[in-house]
Amino acid sequence: MNHFDEMACLFYIEGQLDEARAREVEAHVAECVSCREMLHALQHETALLSSALTEDDEPMPARLLGERNRSLPSWAWTLAFGGFAACAYWFWIDAIGPWIDQLSNAGFGGTDLFSMIVFSGAFWEGWGDMIDAMQIGAVIVLAIVAIVWIRRRLRRSVALAVVMSGVLFALALAMPQRAGAAEVRRSQSISVPAGETVHNDLIAMGASVRIEGTVEGDVIAFTRDLSVTGHVTGDVIAFSQEALIDGTVDGNVRVFSRGVLLQGAVGKNVTAFGSSVDTITKANVGGGMIVLAAQADLDGKTQRDLLGVIGRTDLDGLVGGQAWIRGGNLVVASTAEIRGPATFIGREQPTVEAGAKLASPIHTEITQEIRRNRRSMAHNVISAIFSYAAALLVGILILAIFPGFFRATLRETGSIALPMGVGALALITGGFLLILGVVLLFVGVGAGVAGALGYAPILYVAQVFVGTWLGNKIMGETPAVMGAVAGRMAVGLLILHVARLIPFLGPLVGLVVALWGTGAVLMGFYRLSRVESVAGSPLSA
Amino acid sequence: MNPAEQAALQERIAQAKTGNAEAWGELYREHAPAIFRFCRRAMPTREDAEDATMDIFIKVRQKLSQYDATRPFSAWLYTVAANHCWDLLRRRKLRQDLETGEVENMPLEHPDPGQLEQLLEKRSNQEVRRALDKLRARSRMALVLRYYSDMSYDDIATTLGVRRQFVGVVLLRARHELREILEGKSGARLAAGGAA
Repeated sequence: MNHFDEMACLFYIEGQLDEARAREVEAHVAECVSCREMLHALQHETALLSSALTEDDEPMPARLLGERNRSLPSWAWTLAFGGFAACAYWFWIDAIGPWIDQLSNAGFGGTDLFSMIVFSGAFWEGWGDMIDAMQIGAVIVLAIVAIVWIRRRLRRSVALAVVMSGVLFALALAMPQRAGAAEVRRSQSISVPAGETVHNDLIAMGASVRIEGTVEGDVIAFTRDLSVTGHVTGDVIAFSQEALIDGTVDGNVRVFSRGVLLQGAVGKNVTAFGSSVDTITKANVGGGMIVLAAQADLDGKTQRDLLGVIGRTDLDGLVGGQAWIRGGNLVVASTAEIRGPATFIGREQPTVEAGAKLASPIHTEITQEIRRNRRSMAHNVISAIFSYAAALLVGILILAIFPGFFRATLRETGSIALPMGVGALALITGGFLLILGVVLLFVGVGAGVAGALGYAPILYVAQVFVGTWLGNKIMGETPAVMGAVAGRMAVGLLILHVARLIPFLGPLVGLVVALWGTGAVLMGFYRLSRVESVAGSPLSA
Repeated sequence: MNPAEQAALQERIAQAKTGNAEAWGELYREHAPAIFRFCRRAMPTREDAEDATMDIFIKVRQKLSQYDATRPFSAWLYTVAANHCWDLLRRRKLRQDLETGEVENMPLEHPDPGQLEQLLEKRSNQEVRRALDKLRARSRMALVLRYYSDMSYDDIATTLGVRRQFVGVVLLRARHELREILEGKSGARLAAGGAA
């Protein structure tokens, strides 16, 4: 007797045999016990497979249920929006408003700002840089979009590699174009010797940059030592360790530098961020000065307003407009002259030497002394405990009010490299645009601060998701039971907060958590926006 | 599905095609659980299944105008779902499957029916599902297409990109793999029964 093989038996029970062959099998099985048993066993297997596969063993995840979007109580939204609006209003009235007023006092606001920007020419010169920056910003934003797009089509690591190479390629392409708009010099030591004239903007990158000749345009320098003893007809924008301006700058000077020494003449305004900012007697600033420094010795002339956030200020020279200084202490020497109203906010009364010419007495506000130095370990621990409790509370609130968002973000956190990349790009874009706004064009201040405000809550909640992820890793994944998730969050956040207390390693942990969590939160938002469009509830159409 | 339900479904599909959000919402709520379970069986993790379900319905909404009303709607849905999942798995698992490619060519030995019955006798649905999770992507997909979605051999062949004649081999091989896993990987015992 010829037995049928397993394949034929399978085909028979699946109805895949033609009629004649099926009848052969039937006839054979009627007599052959072994083949009959084979058929039964296969049928049993089919039944088991069907029942295992079709059994309704787990409910639809909440994020796939369209109703979830509608079930979120409207009071939660109202409360959230109300809270946000109140915070924004308070922040504007209490922090931004006064700051803008002070800027305006210093000659950077209101109609002054408008006329300064539009009619001074700085506005038109600035656009080239602004457009370049916007292009770079656009490349970065496109990269983020591309990551999201490619991610759905390629494996994550491949997607990241493709996009990163794309960004580098785009930036590489952008560089020569930039060179066409300005002269770019890169070398150990860059010098424009006396007698030489550069008929273009100059971008200089090197250990030392010396301008002894003439630059008919802007000078943008990235260097250790910058010295301008010649003539620059445009602006000087510098990121350096030491900056010396001894020649003539017709435009503005914006300097980020450890030490800034101003000995020459600046046609327009000076903005200096540094450890020490000094001007000597013969120095002359045609516009206003903004100084953020640990100490400043201002012997020169500032024709318009002075705005300073300075640890220790020695004012020996002239301030043509108002002076507003916030800091530790202020000494106004006998040679000093302030022609407008003066305000000092600091820890102690300013010292005004006899002979100093003041339009009116200095309006002084004494602030409480804040001891920031040498914080004790106990202090650190206590503040860490408070910070831990706050973070945990925020995390639990998010979990309770926005469970879908929480889950989506937590899942994005799990893919580690991608959210870190997205977070880094987002923070770099934000930081870049903020600096650009502040340094190149003062109109950017408001927008920059608003942008930073948008990041702040995201940066804060970043730790919640990284912490929960960490807790999950340690205690094992959990079903979405709120208590269990909160427990894992508590453990993870505790570890993160303890890690942050460790010297050197702590800040690094903080940075990684910020990048990682921020990326995850942004991707979580993206995910959630996608769910709403899929769920197909009437609301989403 | 009785004719009245069938007509109501076709009506909803027609409305959804014209952009009626309410009708689309109904369609989604009716069919999403089945598609999610399909993805849950086909994809390796719950997260993958959730993502796939969302992507499938995005596709379905875009492709709704291409749906041929003479075919059963759920069959069409399963085809879209199967193509999507298999596409994902193939891209992801291609390398792993190539590495274990030689398994494909090993001849299948005839099992002993008694031992097979014994192996299946004590198995719960959950045990079978756990074993299914350990199968290679193609084997798992083939079993899901056949025994969850009730797809024809022709449709399985199209989805998996294999010849029609080969579908039976894929299914049988998948069953053998599953038995080995259920047995605790000592597959030799079952096959040792030889031809009866």
